[in-house]
Amino acid sequence: MNTRFLALELRRAVRNGRYLIFTVVVPSVMFVLFVNLYGGGEGTFPNGLPVTTSLMMNMALFGVMAGPLSIGARIAVERGLGWQRQLRLTPLTGSGYLMTKGALGMLVGLPAILLVCAIGVAEGVRMDALHWVGVLATLWLGAVPFVLLGIVIGLVATADGMQAITGLASMLFGLLGGIWIPADVAPDWLATIMKVLPTYWVKQLTEAPFVSGIDIRQALVVIGLWVAGLSLIAVRRYRAQS
Amino acid sequence: MRAGAAVALNGLRKRFGEVRAVDGIDLVITPGEVVALLGPNGAGKSTTVDMLLGLSTPDGGTISVFGTSPREAVVAGRISAMLQSGALLDDATVAEAVGLIAALHRKPMPVAQALEQAGIADLAGRKCTKLSGGQKQRVRFALALVCDPDLLVLDEPTVAMDVETRRAFWQQMRAYTDTGRTVLFATHYLEEAEEYADRVVLMRSGRIVADGSVAQVRAAVSGRTLRAVVPGATDLTLPGVRLVERRGDQITLTCTDSDAAVRALLTRYPTAHDIEITALGLEDAFLALTGEDN
Repeated sequence: MNTRFLALELRRAVRNGRYLIFTVVVPSVMFVLFVNLYGGGEGTFPNGLPVTTSLMMNMALFGVMAGPLSIGARIAVERGLGWQRQLRLTPLTGSGYLMTKGALGMLVGLPAILLVCAIGVAEGVRMDALHWVGVLATLWLGAVPFVLLGIVIGLVATADGMQAITGLASMLFGLLGGIWIPADVAPDWLATIMKVLPTYWVKQLTEAPFVSGIDIRQALVVIGLWVAGLSLIAVRRYRAQS
Repeated sequence: MRAGAAVALNGLRKRFGEVRAVDGIDLVITPGEVVALLGPNGAGKSTTVDMLLGLSTPDGGTISVFGTSPREAVVAGRISAMLQSGALLDDATVAEAVGLIAALHRKPMPVAQALEQAGIADLAGRKCTKLSGGQKQRVRFALALVCDPDLLVLDEPTVAMDVETRRAFWQQMRAYTDTGRTVLFATHYLEEAEEYADRVVLMRSGRIVADGSVAQVRAAVSGRTLRAVVPGATDLTLPGVRLVERRGDQITLTCTDSDAAVRALLTRYPTAHDIEITALGLEDAFLALTGEDN
């Protein structure tokens, strides 16, 4: 991969005001709001996880969705502008283009995680260093399906429709994925849907060190299926376009 | 395929559904030539250019750019293009957009130099969304220059420019071609072809209808038109006549030598009347060659 190109793309992405607000600031603000809503986060959920810790992971996960989704979806805009045609007159290959967007998606997911977790520490979340590393890594790798989903949206949607589709996807995967409503309190039918989505299982993985009875194998299978499926769609769609 | 050719097209074909956009083109361009690809809209210029750049695949025939495939030539930075519809990034400055493209090439020229050569050094910090049509074209020019190509392809480069900008643009281009680069530009402005090209390739309906130096094409197509009413004409094969058209008794002869033609016509048909001989300008010749068949 061309790192200089990636660096220039990254600079352009993070300079975008909308990115900074929606994907970096909003998750942190929501986190603080929720902690206050739950009475300062003193309590513990029935599964034994402190409220603040659980909310921190949820909001970090929200940040991991929003940033990567928006990066992939930019592909639709660049295609609409004809910029992709310009790129095709350079040594950059199609897969190189998609991989740069993927790497970019992973990178822009990072600040939201770090900021939310930093606020988590300030709000009193405590865990040992090894667990912090595990949680941060899981949250970050949890961005992978969303990076791919963003790329698929970018390849399928038009520049005009991209915004609406991204918003809808973000809501569906957030709401039904258990970011806003815990699966434990959801009715059975909703819980069934939740357990199909990658969001739910990434959340499960982040909780695994602290809560007993989490099916890690099933989490990896569901997330793996999403990653494989979305990659396949992205590759096929990209081939069809070029 | 000629060795050392910048471009060699052989029996190139491309169809879109029922339309034969490019219908068998043979063309060899040698390094250092400045070639105008001239023709009306829909003649197949853009389709040809797209295939030359590897942006679309021909249905038949072969393309070689400096002896390699178009894609290989693009990767090597030997061919570059200023695209007609190539848009600019909505969230980058001019220097950033050119910098992005430069970052992808193996041996780019410095961004500042590309901007300088395209005459937009003063626009480096400007957002791409805040440019006039002519300025955008110059940014596209800089995007094409930054890989320092041996062959530059321009698809309708001056289409969004006013007269003055157009002149300035061609001055810049002149400076560039004086360094011995090969340039192929598609245009439907006859005067641009006349003024800036060493060679003119005329296209119509997906085929090349004339190819040569500006002077050669002019000579091939110029001449005079002889109109007359000739009652009962049967045989109009006359000396000095290239093309015969007739509607009833009204005949139109496209002549290479109108003097010889009129003498022969009057000898053969003394009743011919309303004789009118007009000179054919390059403009008329262009229209005659590239216009639709009636």
